[in-house]
Amino acid sequence: MKIKIIALVFILFVKTSFAQQNLLSFDEHNKYIYYQVADAPGLTADTLLTKGLSFLKTYYPKIRLKPIVGENMVNGQGKFLVYGGVSVLKHEKGEITFQLNIEFKDQKYRYWLTGFIFTPYQRDRYGNFVAQQGIEIPLESALSKLEKRDVDAYLDETGTFCKQFGDRFKQFITHAPKKEETIKKVVTDKW
Amino acid sequence: MKKKFLLLILAVSSLSLAVKAQDTIKTTGDAPLVISGSVDTYFKSDFSGHANIPTSFANENSSISIGMVDLALKKSVGKASFVGELSFGPRGQEQSLPDGSTKSIYTAGVSSYHIQNLYVSYNVTDKFNLSAGYMSTFIGYEVISPAANFNYSTSYLFTNGPFENAGFKATYTFSDKVSLMAGIFNDYWNTYQSLGGRVNTFGAQLTITPVKNWTAYINVAAGPQSGTEIDLTTAYQITSAFKLGLNAADFTAPTGMSGGFSGVALYPQLAVSKAVTLGLRGEYFTTKSGTWTTTAGPNPGASVTGLTATANIKAGPLTLIPEIRFDNSSKNTMFTDGAGAPTSGATQFLLAAVYAF
Repeated sequence: MKIKIIALVFILFVKTSFAQQNLLSFDEHNKYIYYQVADAPGLTADTLLTKGLSFLKTYYPKIRLKPIVGENMVNGQGKFLVYGGVSVLKHEKGEITFQLNIEFKDQKYRYWLTGFIFTPYQRDRYGNFVAQQGIEIPLESALSKLEKRDVDAYLDETGTFCKQFGDRFKQFITHAPKKEETIKKVVTDKW
Repeated sequence: MKKKFLLLILAVSSLSLAVKAQDTIKTTGDAPLVISGSVDTYFKSDFSGHANIPTSFANENSSISIGMVDLALKKSVGKASFVGELSFGPRGQEQSLPDGSTKSIYTAGVSSYHIQNLYVSYNVTDKFNLSAGYMSTFIGYEVISPAANFNYSTSYLFTNGPFENAGFKATYTFSDKVSLMAGIFNDYWNTYQSLGGRVNTFGAQLTITPVKNWTAYINVAAGPQSGTEIDLTTAYQITSAFKLGLNAADFTAPTGMSGGFSGVALYPQLAVSKAVTLGLRGEYFTTKSGTWTTTAGPNPGASVTGLTATANIKAGPLTLIPEIRFDNSSKNTMFTDGAGAPTSGATQFLLAAVYAF
């Protein structure tokens, strides 16, 4: 029984440590990529493009988009923060920029996030964590410039970000935005 | 019982998974309270056998000495934020900051509160920010925090310039390449409050990014009580391994006095591996002739040249900093040799350790 308990704890621990990093794959250029193809039954490519742009504008307004005229495609560049430290000492360790590509066809779409580049943060004189100018480290070659423990953490956070992006995207595409529920008014001078 | 225990482990493990997933990425919402800071200690040996070079910190000779514990808190909610940064230890007390309990300045050995940053800030728009309080100075290349400096000893320009300015400032970002800060500050540098009941030091900083990875700050702080300092601070990350920094400044004494100082310092730094970066600081500093006599450096009318070779060796959050420094003055009135006789040169070695969190 003890062995079973230890094995269970070990399996869960390993799963916790590596689950998010494993969401990333390598593309044909040996770059990390998060690639997904999804079905969208009943929706045309034009509708999907409109929904996709609406999604990005709503949830990721800071992604700089480059819509391609005449094509049902969207390209963009964004970034997210990665954190280090534990508990109350947790703070920004850097930012990771990425390239976003989305393609829409009738009843399906695909998207991929790639080109992950890490820029470390440092604390400035005013107590803020800011990007170290001129330091850009592709995640593929990060092990040559950063500690392995840090690289693993950044890959985990990248995987988590990509999955979160994909989950939100799917939710938005397949479900119409919820209407805001209006609060029922009560008139107190009438019974 | 065993089943319950197994279920408990499963539940706790699942909870930790869920917590990790929610806590790892902060893409939206208010940032958590952030605590950061550093701890530093050093050993210095001047080749004369006694302290010679008037560096702001690392001034105790043949002693394993402490810098400070630095603790900073930051919190942002929506467009508003605050920073509160306290320091404990000689580096963050009598060697740099005033004592709060007695209203006196540079009172050694009197413990009280020692603030490096205490300000509130509000982003009126994405491009327009207002800040007020007691803030690290916007002047100069080097700072009090050892974690934000490459060299452990400090330049003459740093030692003689402001460390802190209390005031109100507005910053507008015109583009990715240009921003402007302008503000009004208390009558004297480094004090928690106006000493003469005046808020009459004008400060401004023009930030320019001429090309990618090169930023220049043109600064001015001018007031009848604090004097006028015009400063250029710039850094260019030329390659991922090589960075070049420059600081040049000119200070004119306050109203009613004459003299001041001027100087220039160059900071080339080369990362030779992921753990080791080598750097030099070459500085030329001159004290102007006049009645302003509080300069930590050569006597009025004289100059000094300093060359500092420093390595930063990183082991996670810990940085070891071995450093050797050669200073040479134009006159033999600034330093003394091992026998106590005046001499024009001084050399020191130090080894410091800085842990940043």
